[in-house]
Amino acid sequence: MSRGNIFLAALLWSIIAFLVIYPLSILVVESFKIAGTENWGISNYLEFFQDTYYLRTFGNTLVLSSLVLITTTLFGVPLAYILARYRHWGKTVFTALILLPIVLPAYAGVFAFVIFFGKYGTVNLLLMDTGLIKTPINFIYGLHGLVFVQSLHMLPFIVLGLSAGFTNIDPCFEEAAEVEGASGFWRFLTVTLPLCTPSYLAGAVIVFLWPFTDWLTPLILGQVDFLPSVSYINIAYHFTDMHRKYMGIVAVVISSTVCLTLFLLARWWVERKKYTGLSKGTTSEGRVIEPTPLVKWGAYLYIFFIAFLVLLIPIVLGLAAFSRRWVLEPFPTYWTLENFRLILLESPLLIKNSFIFSGIALIFGIGFGLPASYLIVRTRVPGRNALDFVITLMLAFPGMAVGVSYLLAFWKDIPLATYWIIMPLALFARRLPYFLRMAHSSYLQLDISLEEASEVSGAGKLRTFLNISLPLLVKGVLVGVVMFFIMAFQEISTAIFLYRGGWETLPIGIFLNWHRGMEFGIAAAMAFLMIVITFILLLIISRIGGGILKAAWGPGGT
Amino acid sequence: MAFIEIRNLFKRFKNVVAVNHVDLEVNQGEMLTLLGPSGCGKTTTLRCIAGLENPEEGDIVIDGRPMLSEGFVQPSKRGIGMVFQNYAVWPHMKVYNNIVYGLKIQKIPRQSIQKRAQEVLGLVGLSGLEDRYPAQLSGGQQQRVALARALVGNPKVLLLDEPLSNLDAKLREKMRFEIKSLVRRMGITSVYVTHDQAEAMVISDRVAVMESGDVVQIGTPQQIYKKPANRFVADFIGTMNFMAGEVVQVLEDTDSAYVRTEFSEKLLCNTSGISATKPGEKVYASIRPEDVEVFTEPPEVQENLFKGTIVHKAYLGNFLYFFVSINDTMIRVQVPHHLPQEEGQDLYVFLNPEKCVVLF
Repeated sequence: MSRGNIFLAALLWSIIAFLVIYPLSILVVESFKIAGTENWGISNYLEFFQDTYYLRTFGNTLVLSSLVLITTTLFGVPLAYILARYRHWGKTVFTALILLPIVLPAYAGVFAFVIFFGKYGTVNLLLMDTGLIKTPINFIYGLHGLVFVQSLHMLPFIVLGLSAGFTNIDPCFEEAAEVEGASGFWRFLTVTLPLCTPSYLAGAVIVFLWPFTDWLTPLILGQVDFLPSVSYINIAYHFTDMHRKYMGIVAVVISSTVCLTLFLLARWWVERKKYTGLSKGTTSEGRVIEPTPLVKWGAYLYIFFIAFLVLLIPIVLGLAAFSRRWVLEPFPTYWTLENFRLILLESPLLIKNSFIFSGIALIFGIGFGLPASYLIVRTRVPGRNALDFVITLMLAFPGMAVGVSYLLAFWKDIPLATYWIIMPLALFARRLPYFLRMAHSSYLQLDISLEEASEVSGAGKLRTFLNISLPLLVKGVLVGVVMFFIMAFQEISTAIFLYRGGWETLPIGIFLNWHRGMEFGIAAAMAFLMIVITFILLLIISRIGGGILKAAWGPGGT
Repeated sequence: MAFIEIRNLFKRFKNVVAVNHVDLEVNQGEMLTLLGPSGCGKTTTLRCIAGLENPEEGDIVIDGRPMLSEGFVQPSKRGIGMVFQNYAVWPHMKVYNNIVYGLKIQKIPRQSIQKRAQEVLGLVGLSGLEDRYPAQLSGGQQQRVALARALVGNPKVLLLDEPLSNLDAKLREKMRFEIKSLVRRMGITSVYVTHDQAEAMVISDRVAVMESGDVVQIGTPQQIYKKPANRFVADFIGTMNFMAGEVVQVLEDTDSAYVRTEFSEKLLCNTSGISATKPGEKVYASIRPEDVEVFTEPPEVQENLFKGTIVHKAYLGNFLYFFVSINDTMIRVQVPHHLPQEEGQDLYVFLNPEKCVVLF
């Protein structure tokens, strides 16, 4: 174990300590403060668990989580099965479409569906025009709408895990069941599905935790009695009311605790129950079925339907972006580039900020992630597993927790939050796992003897890294880089607490324009712009090739 | 003084001892094979020589220079060439660049690099393929690239870690002889790791058999086969009949002993290869299948002659293989000629006292 490695580990740990551990512990400390006094205590927590309002909020969130999980599972299992097992036309295109919500920001989805399914949205207006209904149907405002929007956003996590599971199962397990006489559906229930539980669970926990992190969707749909939305309102709107602020922080800490606990439980369980590695000799395609025409058309119809819902997001936002005064009409009638003119002329700063902040965060990410993955995979430095663990935990942390804790921690003693650098730093801390995971997994796939061969040939450690490791890692690292950038570019939950005048990013611009109500077209145009930028970046990834959307595992979104 | 000296080498991974105080010497220009089952410590020993592992104790001296006791010498500074089990040919470099990688690091002039590379490419039979990428080569060709890369810098020591285990059987057999003659021609001192006893027999000047981190026996292939040091070596190299028993009488003047086995009160065995034994000791009377002689009619010898029944008979082309039961003890017999007897019939089995040895 060389001295250099230990020095590197110490350096990375101090960065983690400063940017993750310190602010998050300040967050916890603040939650114990009692308003109006200098005292500390658990009274905030006691109040939270005695107050019927907060308790109801907590209960609502649990109910919402369960409903979203049930919905995504019911829709996701057949979807994953069709995508993984049926040989059909357009497999790649449909898979990409259905997985698309991972890289679309959640708020883009909500806006699109409000326009399309709202009280006087396209669907209601069309139905009233044809005379089928007299008064508009409430498609979207309420718990059912919330479940719909969040389920569509989280569906990819179920599909991704399960279809990978369906593909990776050694066909011989199912063939053995077939020989034993288990037919069709029974075989699926008793052999296939149980073998896929680990990959299902990995996605399911992310789905279940989403309602504990997503504050914006409930807010837009007029449903505020959920834990993250309450935290946001308490902290952002009542910053001067110390008690409400502390209660908001308590709510953040509680959601974070729920997220961390479930995430760790799932991780532990999945580690224990990995079946897919049990045997060798699977084909890359897995077991593929040629369905009967009837089933095939049913399957087509089904994936068309889901893909249509996903495609609505960019289409509706696009319509809104290129039009003005789209009110009380099913489709816009007045087409214009006015929205884009306004964005580019009046607020190019937002786009510039977004690129600069995400870009700087990315440089931090690479500068931290490459040495970190080297340490974790290739050395025996003590504490390397803990480092990996802490960084992975950031996947489970709600963005709001990072934002609030930065605000609290870097205000008085270390007044970093008064400088713009806080924005890229926060983005870096929040999105770090995306880059690290990719670098990490490509490092694991890199055969160590390739590096050893270089050392034996006379190259030192650094030269080996530059000549051998880096060129071979570059694919995975680049995918990680682009994913990191996309996720940082779309980030709002952390940034919303930290931005000051002049530091607004594109997502914040979308939120503010929406919030103001009148500038709806501009918000849509910004969201559309964001989707276009995301698409371009995704094209770059697919050029680089390999496991595009797998890179995005982990909670995406705001 | 030997060219490579391994002294009291000790390496463990957490609680598992991989190499347990091993001493080994490799002479200049010699090819030594470390042979043993997986997990015996042979690859770890090799990696310690390469500097890819840092052992807890002991020293390795290469050409008079200690690699451990005067500070750990990095692999890049040891002057070795190494062929890895999976070749480790860099997929992002062309064959030529793979081979000259080490030379470029040494800042050797371009022209000598080119000359040297062409020489080595010719030696391993890859001339004309220097502009290919590894993915465009067959497994055997990649193997040659790995070999060329290891040889190009004229290393003091060549290390080979199961280099043939990923090749198909035919090619593997051919490459054994190629590697042997190539290395012998260049006169490089080399250490070869394998779990394949036939490979070890073909390629080595000497073989070191390892078991659970210990070197159990070192010797030429003939010595190892003819005079195995113990039951493990005898079992690992070739096939051996082991008949559990107890020494009843030691005949010191003839280097032999009588052993009581399940089917015989007094089986005369050779003890010349082993340390002293004494009556009452539990041993294995051991004989190779090809050393067992069988007769259809009783021969003149009386000692070590038994009557047995054929349980299985198999025709294997160049020889016949029998399982013969002597009072329920199963003996494997290999005879190079035809015998008319079928399964269920009787045979006379002669366990030649010269070739029936005592092992522990």
